[in-house]
Amino acid sequence: MTTTDHNRWSDDLGAYLLGALNPNEAADFERHLEGCERCRQELRWLEPAVDTLPETVERTEPPPQLRAALMAEVRRDVREDPRAEAPAPARPAAASPWRRWLLRPAVGFAVVALLVAGVVGYEVGKDDGGGNGNRVAFEEQIGGMTVKMIQEGDGGKLELAGVPQPPEDKVFEAWVERDGEVEAVPALIVPDRNGRAETTIADMSGVKTLMITVEPRGGSETPTGETIMEMKVPS
Amino acid sequence: MAVQREKAERLADEELMPLVGDCDPEAFEVLYDRHGGAAYSLAYRVVGDRAAAEEVTQEAFISVWRSGARFDSARGSVRSWLLSIVRNRAIDFLRSRAGKAPKLTFDDDSVLEQRPAQEHTEEEALQRETAAELRGALGNLPGEQSKVIELAYFGGFSHSEIAEILSLPMGTVKGRMRLGLEKIRGELAEGLA
Repeated sequence: MTTTDHNRWSDDLGAYLLGALNPNEAADFERHLEGCERCRQELRWLEPAVDTLPETVERTEPPPQLRAALMAEVRRDVREDPRAEAPAPARPAAASPWRRWLLRPAVGFAVVALLVAGVVGYEVGKDDGGGNGNRVAFEEQIGGMTVKMIQEGDGGKLELAGVPQPPEDKVFEAWVERDGEVEAVPALIVPDRNGRAETTIADMSGVKTLMITVEPRGGSETPTGETIMEMKVPS
Repeated sequence: MAVQREKAERLADEELMPLVGDCDPEAFEVLYDRHGGAAYSLAYRVVGDRAAAEEVTQEAFISVWRSGARFDSARGSVRSWLLSIVRNRAIDFLRSRAGKAPKLTFDDDSVLEQRPAQEHTEEEALQRETAAELRGALGNLPGEQSKVIELAYFGGFSHSEIAEILSLPMGTVKGRMRLGLEKIRGELAEGLA
């Protein structure tokens, strides 16, 4: 590593620590870091400066209901997760389907080769059991993931099971395709510790394809990352 | 098996995290009681709205609860890790609120390259930044350095966006970020000396 090489990257350090590099730039910088001990030392030196920034914020007391809502959700998780009752259980490794999907090349809608995997338990028209008259529009198993759509008016609630946790600094984002166009589903997919997640799709009319991809934090405007689920919506 | 609240309160953050990873609600509750205020304050500082700050804080803590085993003590304190998660969630919220994902045709690469042309004036950007005065070490920086750091950290802007907002070369923006962080770090070191 020459001084010239180091100087070329030196000013990127602050922007990197502040999360201000674009994703490609950040990836390039991280590759440089691997081979530049001087940058790594400077990074370690400057990190506490960034850690200080949230501490400069004027304190605002959180509302009491935040704590109550948070703990209610936590205790609900505990009730639903039998591991919580066992003494000191080891956390399982990441779900195996994730590793398998990661090995897949990225698949974009522009070159859609629909991978409609083994369909198991495809049920149309069955009541969802919620006593509200909503129907199960479809339920399919794709790889290790169960994809269930509960019809609600023109739209539907997409219920997922067997969803792996996203990689650090990444999120899952869902997409629908209709009339040759792709649209993001507004809410990002956030699986709980049991691999369940749900999101609402306001309008399912004409939707031909559902897809979930791995995206940078905050989501993307178009699918850019690895595809973890892609399915043709049953007509 | 959940530990008792009294026992959890005596544990350091780094000792609480394995318990949180094992689904211990008492340990998690202590973690929230220690850092929830700072987390909510940071979220409010970034999003500028109490309801949104509440949502961001709850999402961040739930993600910690559901991924507690990811904490790596070699990379810093629990508090720094937790607040970085809050900050990232808050920035995500800002970006989603700014609007994204218009309908796009599959082959319209030129559209795919575009970002929403929003908040690209200094005035608009700084309106998002009025929730609190800069304080402490950050407040002691020259304005030109604190501004780029604030826009990046609390506003979630990239260096290229900041360059556009402030009508500066990108290299200047990155240089000011670096200099500002070095000065803050220097003050921290002096404070510890």
